[in-house]
Amino acid sequence: MGLTIDVHGLKVAYESVPVLDGTEFSVDRGDLVALLGANGAGKSTLLRCISRILQPTAGQILLDGQDLKSLKSREAARLMAVVPQETAADFDFTVEDIVMMGRFPYLTRFRKEDLHDREVVRRAMEMTGVTHLAERSIAQLSGGEKQRVVMARALAQQPELLLLDEPTANLDIGYQSMLLELASRLNREEGVTVIAAIHDINLAVHHFNRFILLAGGRVLASGRADEVITAENIRKSYGVPATTFRHPLHGVLQVSVIRGDKTRNAGKIGLRVHVIGGGEEAMPTLELLYQKGCRLSVGPVSAQDSGCRFAHFNSLPVVIVPPFTMMNRENRDEHLRLMREADAIVVPPIPFGEGNLPLFTEVEVALDEGKPLYIIDFAGLPERDYSGGKAVELFRRLLDKGASGVERVDDLIKVIKQGGGEDDD
Amino acid sequence: MTGRLTGKSIQSRGTKFTRPLLMVVLVLLLFFSALSAMIWGAVTIGWKNVFAILFDTLPFYQSETATGIAPVYKDILLQIRVPRVLLAAAVGSSLAVSGAVFQGLFRNPMADPYVIGISSGAALGAVFAMLGGFSLAVGGFGAVPLFAFFGGLATILLVYSMARVGRAVPVMTLLLAGIAVSAFLSALVSLLTYFAGEKLHQVIFWLMGGLGGATWLQVRVMLPYAFVGYLAVSIFSRELNAMLLGEETASNLGVDTEKVKKILLAGASLLVAAAVSTSGIIGFIGLVVPHFVRLVAGPDHRFLIPASALLGGSLLIATDMVARVIIAPTELPVGIITALIGAPTFMYLLKKRRKLRYFGGGG
Repeated sequence: MGLTIDVHGLKVAYESVPVLDGTEFSVDRGDLVALLGANGAGKSTLLRCISRILQPTAGQILLDGQDLKSLKSREAARLMAVVPQETAADFDFTVEDIVMMGRFPYLTRFRKEDLHDREVVRRAMEMTGVTHLAERSIAQLSGGEKQRVVMARALAQQPELLLLDEPTANLDIGYQSMLLELASRLNREEGVTVIAAIHDINLAVHHFNRFILLAGGRVLASGRADEVITAENIRKSYGVPATTFRHPLHGVLQVSVIRGDKTRNAGKIGLRVHVIGGGEEAMPTLELLYQKGCRLSVGPVSAQDSGCRFAHFNSLPVVIVPPFTMMNRENRDEHLRLMREADAIVVPPIPFGEGNLPLFTEVEVALDEGKPLYIIDFAGLPERDYSGGKAVELFRRLLDKGASGVERVDDLIKVIKQGGGEDDD
Repeated sequence: MTGRLTGKSIQSRGTKFTRPLLMVVLVLLLFFSALSAMIWGAVTIGWKNVFAILFDTLPFYQSETATGIAPVYKDILLQIRVPRVLLAAAVGSSLAVSGAVFQGLFRNPMADPYVIGISSGAALGAVFAMLGGFSLAVGGFGAVPLFAFFGGLATILLVYSMARVGRAVPVMTLLLAGIAVSAFLSALVSLLTYFAGEKLHQVIFWLMGGLGGATWLQVRVMLPYAFVGYLAVSIFSRELNAMLLGEETASNLGVDTEKVKKILLAGASLLVAAAVSTSGIIGFIGLVVPHFVRLVAGPDHRFLIPASALLGGSLLIATDMVARVIIAPTELPVGIITALIGAPTFMYLLKKRRKLRYFGGGG
């Protein structure tokens, strides 16, 4: 089971606008391929060329080395099955009728469905979990059920190649992963080659092991997730800045589009605020200030810190300290510069220890120069002090020099507005 | 019953016996409507005599009852009523089957046998022949049916070539081209009718459709067309099922959609052209009969097509009989009766079942 596919110099144009422009790739026996790319990149067009709905104007598609054009309709339908994004269901066939239609390519004009066909249909319905719907009318089913019926029909074709064209586009997250899990199970257990056009990259990386990224009708990248899904490739193909990261829970590569920072501040506070340090504990402070429209800067943090990711993600200025090193002269100067440019400095409720206390040398300089400094949750500091009391001592001194204590993150904005107002002009 | 009707996969609704049972009912209906159409008319022929005369025509069989019946009854039955019943059966089946095919092909419940303009083309041909007063006759045929037949087929070819894009014929374009051509030809028919003068009655009567003056010759000419057309579309009923899911899906399932479209279109057009040229434009049967069958037995064309043929035949035989007897000895155009009986029945079913099966999405 399983097919190889070779696509050579494929060209398709709609009204002389090229959609596929010399597409070239190959897929191995038993590959589980996600076809990625922006709207209009040519994903559906490519799939429809493979499923022979469209005739390419140039180029060639080989299935197991055999030219697609030389196959008869029924032969092709025995080799591959298609699950489209949506199926019309404005008629009153039962689910079993629909699945049985998957046996069409195996039936000749005068051969009727026999026991074997029924058995195949029964198994297909079982695998997709639609057995209980067998006698129901397709017109009465929900989108998710309908899509599973269509999947069952595809299975009844006993294909060696399964093409899915954005099969999850209209499904909720439960049905999405169920459908893709089904596809990957077929791939694993029966060796069926699977190619699926998919919009949701983060969903795709969970279920597929090979990725083909289309842009402008050509293959931009092809290979494993980390080879294909890079910030650079995403920017080139989807036209948006993005960042990739490993998911904190399951470690799988993920993509997130970077939020633009340009129009956000219109009509909002627009105060410039520097937030000291990072880590999970600093996130609520960062997110709140960001939401309120403050122009933030962050640091110093290490490159893997969530504060650093937040800064990159939102294109904020950030002081980055290389991992496992102390701050160097350059970092210190950069930090001091950001604090001087800010209207206010905020110390979020993060833990303190020998590692991060030294950076307060510069903070103290800024405070002495008259920058407003806000310390969140001073009362809870002893629980977060891993420096044997040095942090508490330091912060007391800062408060004496004019820093303000703020009880909760939520109060911060109000206080900064008042304090910042006094300091300006 | 044939084996395919008992297959479990197509037992989609009702009990396991719905379809075989319906088939039996439809065959009986055809039998009894044919029998009554032979009994009643301007003169009544008792059912025993009908059987006697019919059996008497069999070779090597001499009916004793038949010898006692006046020859005029034999002539009425054998030369007038039997050919008329056969012709009604053939025309009714052809209209119902082509209606089912067009509705499936266009995935449109509004489609009827005349949807892509065959009727207007045939009408133009027929009216043209009537007004021209052509005396041309081929193989015993008058000019009117010949012109109607070729007018209908020429229209289909025109519509088809208008809708063709390269190798493909998108059904939506076909439908629209049909509507456009049909509207144009209908205007021409109206124009000709306006100037029909003394032939106006003849024209109007033809346009309303009827089976008056049916002859054995018409039966002999009509039956082969009906048979060939029926065979063509019924052989492709499984493909037509797949086409209901959309052309792309059908193609993915291994249906050669362009080929199937051509064959179905050709078969159905042949049925309609033959029907229209023998009996004029009889409305409603082609639209309503397939819906009746779907309401009861679902959209599977392997059942829908033979069942529509039986029901369409019975219905036209019965309504034609009513048209003959209701103001006897004069006849009403049968199209009036089909609409008068068919429409209310259809509305009742529609109301009762709440929605049209097969096109159930909206309801």
